[in-house]
Amino acid sequence: MSRVHKIFRKFYKIGLVLFLAIFLLFIFDEIQNLDIKRYLSEHYISEGVQETGAINLVTSVLYDYRGFDTLGEATVILTAAATLSFMTPIKKVKMLGTEFTIIIYQTIIIIIPFLVVLGMNLIFFGHISPGGGFVGGVILAMIPILVTINYGITFSENKLKPNHKSLLEGIGAIGFILLGLLGIFAGSNFLASGQANFGLGNPGELISAGLIPYLNLMIGIKVGAGLAAIFNSLIKEG
Amino acid sequence: MTGGKVVIYVILNMLMIFLLFTAFFAVFTKNLLNSIITLAIFSAILIVIFVILQAPDAALAEAVIGAGLTLTFFVITINKTKDWQNE
Repeated sequence: MSRVHKIFRKFYKIGLVLFLAIFLLFIFDEIQNLDIKRYLSEHYISEGVQETGAINLVTSVLYDYRGFDTLGEATVILTAAATLSFMTPIKKVKMLGTEFTIIIYQTIIIIIPFLVVLGMNLIFFGHISPGGGFVGGVILAMIPILVTINYGITFSENKLKPNHKSLLEGIGAIGFILLGLLGIFAGSNFLASGQANFGLGNPGELISAGLIPYLNLMIGIKVGAGLAAIFNSLIKEG
Repeated sequence: MTGGKVVIYVILNMLMIFLLFTAFFAVFTKNLLNSIITLAIFSAILIVIFVILQAPDAALAEAVIGAGLTLTFFVITINKTKDWQNE
């Protein structure tokens, strides 16, 4: 009896996972075979470039059709960064006790300009090529993280003060909402760029697609500053 | 199917099997640091799968967030919490 119990205790987790996987497999199989006409996705694919001016359809959905959801995601990061900044102790706490070799110091010095260029490229070309404000912002947030790991928290805070990070994050969040309000002033809905007749330009050029590049820039600033602030708070904690 | 497609198909299925192994290891291992490093490897395999399935947007997000940022945050969190080595 106890041996059976032991074997059961060992394998019930795996069995649970397998059961769930088979269950999901049947559900997805049913969904695949359902006879639904996907009007919305067909509309996005066939009309998206004309309506929003962005070649990258993912960006056109994220920042035009579903801009309000992006605002919600940005609010989540804003809330997390604000809460963590509020809980951060003011005193300087000792860093991770790791000493790196000179190879790592020199490599990080060389890498940082490339990271700036890559992040800016991803943000500004978000409506033309894969990428977007969120990914570019995370890459920009990597720079303070690398500087902090490399040179310590004191040097990093001298270079980019936590108050400035919070200010940048606020600028990003408020700028996103103000750009959304532009749609109301133009006589359409909140966060509308394609429907509000903003001059979409030629699809494929850098300055096109109405408000989408500016929304990308705001999200990039906001996410980058927010994640840098979160990291700063985490590393000073306890 | 032509030769190139067969190669891509075999690589995709092998990567999915590795994905399963890394996911099980990350869940069932006792050492938290091993689990985190395995999650980063899981993300790296997932990036290749996303590129094969022609989703470069999701691959970029996964590369930056999954393999880079969460690894940093998890390592620092484990470093800050006490007594993780004695368990």
